[in-house]
Amino acid sequence: MNEPTPVSTARAEAEQLATELIGDRADGWDLAGELPLDVLRELGGKGMLCAQVPAAYGGLGLSSAENGELTAHVGALCSSVRSVMTSQGMAAWTVERLGSDEQKAVHLRELTSGRLAGVAFSEPGAGSDLGAMTTTIRVEGDTVVLDGRKSWITVAAYADLLVVFGRHGSGAGAVVVPTDTPGVTVERVPAPLGCRAAGHADVTFDDVRLPADRLLGGAGLPVDWLVTSALTFGRVSVAWGCVGILRACLRAAASHAATRQQFGVPLAAHQLVARHLAELHVAHEASAGCCERASRGWDENSPELVVSAVTAKHLAAGHAARGAAAAVQVLASAGAHDGGPVARAYRDAKLMEIIEGSNEISQLLLGKHALGVWS
Amino acid sequence: MSTPTTEQDTTAPAQATPTGQDAAPAEDTTAVRETLTAFLEQRTKTAVAADVDLFSTGLVTSLFAMELLVHVEQSFGVQVGGSDLTLDNFRSVDAMTALVLRLRGGGDE
Repeated sequence: MNEPTPVSTARAEAEQLATELIGDRADGWDLAGELPLDVLRELGGKGMLCAQVPAAYGGLGLSSAENGELTAHVGALCSSVRSVMTSQGMAAWTVERLGSDEQKAVHLRELTSGRLAGVAFSEPGAGSDLGAMTTTIRVEGDTVVLDGRKSWITVAAYADLLVVFGRHGSGAGAVVVPTDTPGVTVERVPAPLGCRAAGHADVTFDDVRLPADRLLGGAGLPVDWLVTSALTFGRVSVAWGCVGILRACLRAAASHAATRQQFGVPLAAHQLVARHLAELHVAHEASAGCCERASRGWDENSPELVVSAVTAKHLAAGHAARGAAAAVQVLASAGAHDGGPVARAYRDAKLMEIIEGSNEISQLLLGKHALGVWS
Repeated sequence: MSTPTTEQDTTAPAQATPTGQDAAPAEDTTAVRETLTAFLEQRTKTAVAADVDLFSTGLVTSLFAMELLVHVEQSFGVQVGGSDLTLDNFRSVDAMTALVLRLRGGGDE
């Protein structure tokens, strides 16, 4: 039941390329806190970092279900690269959702030809409460002017472009900003807890002036309206990334338990260890099933996808965090080396409980939904 | 799911669309309005008049706003692009009905 959709050639090739380019290098990238730019540009140039972009714009045109499996595949190898996929995918989806035909033609092409992009929502005073954003986007004649400060922007340290959300009129707007524009300053977040090589950075925009056609459509809508679409993409992507984390943990824990001998038998013969493996298996199946449901909703453009995305993200992040902790427990000292697969999973999964809607924000949204449906 | 009908285009003047061109058959308007109302009433468990302001009444919350957008796209086979993403187009059942009829007219988007 893991793969209800047939594997397309495009997806199979993308997964193979990811395996070749990432291989066993993720440990080193994590320790260094840096991804090689040439790897990112090659993945980007093949359209893999935003693989749902239609072929007409140079993308692979994968369905959400297929891109989900690709995301899990990459996530099992390296959550930092997967994190880049989530950000670039959100940037592309925002342009696809809000952009005019001309904006889509220009920016989606850039995003499938090796240029790297992130999405800037959060600010020092606006994390879960995005309504408190103070970054401003204003139009002066044929110029759009951006002022403000964004924090913890994934990929920003590598990005050529940022899709920046800010206040606009009585609502919000989104603008596509090349990072080499005068007034843009990118400062790397030192030593993040997880996804260490994903290029998190704080970004300051000081009187940044761009042609007015950099402002995407939908400007003036309430901030909730504008960001929910991008966040929904992000939630599906993060959820699939967590499925990948669980796969990496299952692989590491099962291999170790099958070979490591204690008290004269393999670890797996000890029932308390076997239980960890069983729970990891259940965590993976439940998370993958929930992700498949959300992706099916996305591919059928069904209204349920919005809540399914929050559900999948919340469930998968929790499972990944607990599953990674269990995997470290099974590997014990063999898993306690920083940079190793289960140590990375342990740190990366914790961040998944925070981003794209923390556990608590997800619970608030789901609680409200449950009340509406079941009361 | 209703599809645009062409057989009865010669019937009595239908309600004007905001653009004033290609007035839709009255039955099309009714079908779109009924589909939208049914979705809203099912999700909000409230009777929703076609002209009620969905935002000032607080019926539409952040997640529900996107569900509504996706519902409009899916039910009527239209794509609501950037320049049509305005509050005014989603403010009421009447406003969404007009948007759908305009987009389905397939005119000069």
